[in-house]
Amino acid sequence: MDGPRGGLRVENLYKRFGRDVAVDGVSFDIKPGEFFSLLGPSGCGKTTTLRIIGGLLTPDAGRVYLNDEDITFLPPEKRDINIVFQHYALFPHLTVYDNVAFGPRRQGWPEDRIKAEVGRLLEMVHLQGYEHKYPRELSGGEQQRVALIRALITRPQVLLLDEPLGALDLKIRQQLQLELINIQDAFHITFIYVTHDQSEALAMGDRIAVMNEGRILQIGDPRTIYENPINRFVAYFIGNTNLLEGRVAEVRPGGMARVHIPGIGDVWGMCRHHCERLRVGLDVAVSVRPEKINISRTPPSEPGYNTITGLVQDIIYLGVSIEYIIRLEQGLTLRVFQQNLADDARQVITWDEIVWLYWLPAHALVLID
Amino acid sequence: MTRRWRYVMSQYAALAVNILPPFLYLLVFFYVPMSILLVMSFWKSGYMTLTPAFTFENYRLFFTSPIYLRALLNTFLIATGTMLALVVLSYPIAYYLARFSPRHERLILFLIIIPVEINFLIRIFAWKIALGRNGIINSALMSLGVIDEPLSFLLYSKFAVALVLVHEWLPYVVIPLYLALKGIPQEIIDAARSLGANRWDVFWRIIFPLSAPGLFASFVLVYIPMLGEFAVPTLVGGPSGYMLGNVIESQFLSAGNWGLGSAIGFVLLTIILILVALVLKVAGLERML
Ligand SMILES: Nc1ncnc2c1ncn2[C@@H]1O[C@H](COP(=O)(O)OP(=O)(O)O)[C@@H](O)[C@H]1O
Ligand SMILES: [Mg+2]
Repeated sequence: MDGPRGGLRVENLYKRFGRDVAVDGVSFDIKPGEFFSLLGPSGCGKTTTLRIIGGLLTPDAGRVYLNDEDITFLPPEKRDINIVFQHYALFPHLTVYDNVAFGPRRQGWPEDRIKAEVGRLLEMVHLQGYEHKYPRELSGGEQQRVALIRALITRPQVLLLDEPLGALDLKIRQQLQLELINIQDAFHITFIYVTHDQSEALAMGDRIAVMNEGRILQIGDPRTIYENPINRFVAYFIGNTNLLEGRVAEVRPGGMARVHIPGIGDVWGMCRHHCERLRVGLDVAVSVRPEKINISRTPPSEPGYNTITGLVQDIIYLGVSIEYIIRLEQGLTLRVFQQNLADDARQVITWDEIVWLYWLPAHALVLID
Repeated sequence: MTRRWRYVMSQYAALAVNILPPFLYLLVFFYVPMSILLVMSFWKSGYMTLTPAFTFENYRLFFTSPIYLRALLNTFLIATGTMLALVVLSYPIAYYLARFSPRHERLILFLIIIPVEINFLIRIFAWKIALGRNGIINSALMSLGVIDEPLSFLLYSKFAVALVLVHEWLPYVVIPLYLALKGIPQEIIDAARSLGANRWDVFWRIIFPLSAPGLFASFVLVYIPMLGEFAVPTLVGGPSGYMLGNVIESQFLSAGNWGLGSAIGFVLLTIILILVALVLKVAGLERML
């Protein structure tokens, strides 16, 4: 085949289990060699989507294309797509060597080639000499490394990873995240990486698809998803933003809008999605990221900020940053992150103080959905 | 006494309290009688006589008698054939229940287990009625015109023994196999398929080896007791379905030759112990989870 391989497209996938719709019209188009993250809360249909792509499930409707070839009904063993599972799924009765050799043997590789390649890959994931161990003799991280090279050894066009690090400790998880990124770079294989951990998706994906209740809500690169979420769900799911519910009071050309938040007053924000629907009286949410908010004992010296006051209810010391929980009127609270700058005046802010919060209208997103 | 010493003592005391009752039970009702039988098997023995004089005569008699050796061969033929039939029958049932999880999975399992609760004699006599010369099967086949003469091999034959044994032991093969198959995570099978294994490979390289513990369990649970079977061959076996258990039974109960009976019993026991050791070794080497 000519050109780069590993382009994967799904169109309108739909899958029901009994009366529950698990996947409800999912479409996306992944470029060869892309690191594509599928992000969503547990139960939103990520695994089901992955199993359809891998051929382990047949969709009720929709199509799967690999390099523009329709593979919707091709059995899994005929697809050049491998899977890494959350619980490793190593064959418990086979040694590490036989586990990794399983795929090559199905393809009829000569045994000396298998031997050389297994050794090389084991070394790559720092498991040299592990050939004759059994899966139960390995730690979780080691098992997942074996599962990874078992899926990689035959160089599939696409590798599906279903929360592969979900069962591991934070330290090992972070280390394996790095290894995975390096391996993906080195192998140039298309990765579809399923996770419910937004920070993992942001750190690892070239692009992220955010999913909820069987649907894809937004697809974009990490920056776009974070800075420009399409709706309340995406804004909140990625990075726990502050959402202030209110009503549009004034609309200006270019997407600027003044939103009245009951009990707080008016704030200015930018609309970036579906702005044609913006009009006075519409119920919207204003999303302000905690790190975009300034906190101070004094009001801002320059004009142009959204400004409110509140009471310091909680201070959480995170090391890199300090998180303040500020109580506003009507039981609302705002989360505010400030970088931990030693001997900064802000650090002296303590509990039960009245403080000023201010942020630029460009950092406040008006969300219609 | 140091605290450490007291602790050690209390541990031993706890151990003794837990282990002693079953140990005493086994001692009185198993090891002592078995030892007596072992001693008797080396005593000079005849009809209703038993002289405490050491001899290998009982063992020599067994290994030189064509009748007894024939019974030994019969025993292994029947037990092995029945075991094979049981596995061939049970595997699809267990596989279907475990891997396809049909809607009435539990009900079907229940129906498979239920016959265990039916009295053993009632079951055997039900089979006698079904298999006899004028039994249900023969009458039905004759009235349908499939056969002219009643089939004689149905009852009082190896076939009859195997059939009744299959009926008796089926749940004990299905259940361990079902549990072993049910324990195989779907992800493992999915992994094999995504790595290029077709259905045949998946079965022979993944599912079958992983169900081996169930097979070993049913082997120990079923094959071993079948080797010592005597009631079923007595009732439906006839002359050709004669097993070693019958020989032992008759030495004790009718021939009155306790020495010979004991000797044959120990020959069987030795064979069984070797078999179990072999199975454990193989199962161990397979390095099951
Ligand atoms: N084999 C199945 N039978 C019935 N329901 C299922 C099955 N697999 C998944 N589901 C349901 O489909 C929905 C999506 O599941 P899944 O794709 O596993 O979500 P995720 O991987 O995002 O956690 C869930 O509500 C789940 O209960
Ligand atoms: Mg999942």
